[in-house]
Amino acid sequence: MALFTRTTKNLILKIDEFFDDIDLGLLVFREGIKSYLEKDMDAFERHILKVEQLESHADRLQRSIENEMITNSILPQHRGEVSSLIDVLDEIIDTIKSTLNEFRIETPEIPDSLNHNFISITESSVCAGEEIIPAARAYFKSPYTVREKLLKVYYFESETDKVSRETRRIIFQDMKDLDLAHKSHLRYIINHIEKISDTAQKAADLLSIMAIKIVM
Amino acid sequence: MILLFLTSGLFLGWSLGANDASNIFGSAVGSKMISFRKAAIIASIFVIIGAVLQGSGASVTLGKLGAVNALGGSFTVALAAGATVYLMTKFSLPVSTTQAIVGAIIGWNLFTGNRTDMSTLTQIISTWITGPVLGGAFAVVLYMILKTIKKKSSIHLIRFESYVRTGLVIVGAFGAYSLGANNIANVMGVFVPAFNLNDLDLGIITLSSSQQLFLLGGIAIATGIITYSNRVMEVVGNQIMELSSDAALVVVLAQALVLFIFSSSAFSSFIESTGLPPFPMVPVSSTQVIIGSIIGIGLYKGARNINFRIVGDIAKGWILTPVASGLIAFFSLFFVKNIFNINVGTGIAENGGSIIGNTASASSAHSISEIMGFLITGLLGLGIVILILYYFAERKKKNELRKSEEKFWNNLK
Repeated sequence: MALFTRTTKNLILKIDEFFDDIDLGLLVFREGIKSYLEKDMDAFERHILKVEQLESHADRLQRSIENEMITNSILPQHRGEVSSLIDVLDEIIDTIKSTLNEFRIETPEIPDSLNHNFISITESSVCAGEEIIPAARAYFKSPYTVREKLLKVYYFESETDKVSRETRRIIFQDMKDLDLAHKSHLRYIINHIEKISDTAQKAADLLSIMAIKIVM
Repeated sequence: MILLFLTSGLFLGWSLGANDASNIFGSAVGSKMISFRKAAIIASIFVIIGAVLQGSGASVTLGKLGAVNALGGSFTVALAAGATVYLMTKFSLPVSTTQAIVGAIIGWNLFTGNRTDMSTLTQIISTWITGPVLGGAFAVVLYMILKTIKKKSSIHLIRFESYVRTGLVIVGAFGAYSLGANNIANVMGVFVPAFNLNDLDLGIITLSSSQQLFLLGGIAIATGIITYSNRVMEVVGNQIMELSSDAALVVVLAQALVLFIFSSSAFSSFIESTGLPPFPMVPVSSTQVIIGSIIGIGLYKGARNINFRIVGDIAKGWILTPVASGLIAFFSLFFVKNIFNINVGTGIAENGGSIIGNTASASSAHSISEIMGFLITGLLGLGIVILILYYFAERKKKNELRKSEEKFWNNLK
């Protein structure tokens, strides 16, 4: 029984650590995009390195959590859903890493007039991601509060949609001097940043069902 | 030959283990909270302990219903009950071992011309209703308490599940103990008046004649649990309603409490001392109590998920089981007596209640006691060896798992 208590404690710690990684990854992503827009490439490289470390650590934790849940038969009735939630949250940090790498490899030329829009998209997308973490933590501790926490995720996701739609409109309709390839590239980068809030929404959908099931 | 008569009781014990143990650990095993092997070992040990230590209470009541006073009669009655349980299970009808044995004893009473003690019969039948109702009431109260604790404590889900798992093991052990204490009367109760064995000294405990029979019956139940209850365990619980792990814990605890109060003489005396009517010590159907508990939780949750068709089948079983068992017992007794010429029992004098008929004679009792002594010691020894082997096998499995885990992470690095 003592061994089992230790396993439980370790697993709880690992899940918390995993959430911390995602949370920190979002914070670093926000700073990374700002560094890129401010053309501070040293800081940008530093942020990419940090995100890569966090992503690799989150991957290890994900495998370890799923492994421990199966081998110790923990949460047998909710294991599948918890694994799915962890998979979706891992997708957030994967998206963060791949988006920053897109910036590093493709070095998109963002007109200064769009800096504010890009910061807004990043801000609201990251906020959606950040709001999913307390909701996911609440699923384990107070499932009754999960749904109210999810409202913020949906709000920031729709904000991201609005800002990115407006930015795309500006790019394709107002900025006549940009060529089509440049416009398409900017749209592609916006889609990447937007993907964080989309994934957060996916996690929110999953969590809201999980919360209903657990309180029933 | 005398020991051969016991085989029908052992068969009944085996079917009780195969069917009723699933009530205790079924939801835990079905929901993968506990492995079948662990559940089977815990259930087996505690069923035997319960049967030996506390089995006499309920068997006295069963004895009042009909003191089967010949080995041939005990054999036939237990065989009829066992056959009823087997047949009803085969036709997928819900069955209660308690009702089967009660029906068979009444069949014996009718055949031998003995009067059925109506007050005892009423007492037993009333528990067929009060058992499930009490189970349901306990389940609702316990479920409400558990839900409130869970909501107010903000305990981590994983930690809560680990407590539920530990709770399931402890409550399951208590449930198995209560099952052994309460239901051993069904298995061996009919043999008690017909056997008179010498006390058996096992070093730490001295077993009386009835306790030796109960130990054998307990071992038969344990065999049923280990060999056959696996498939039953995996479907039970989810038949009437899908149970969450905390609901499973509540259901098992409610069932264990009901079985316990109907077999504990200490509890009965306590209730009597408070001025309330005492609880009768009667074998209660664990199946019906668990069904009552599940329905209780289902009603509390709004009765949306209850499969009422199964509930209807269970109600049919209440009538079908004792009637079928009584008929089988009556006709079997006729054949055993008239074709095989075996004494199946005689009428008991109304005034003195003395037993007429042949119990095991004094001369043969000594040799039977010796054989029983060897049998019980041998079986207990075998059980201990199996437990030790299981412990080492589990340890080996854990070590192999740990090694493969370490290898995986090393390769990943």
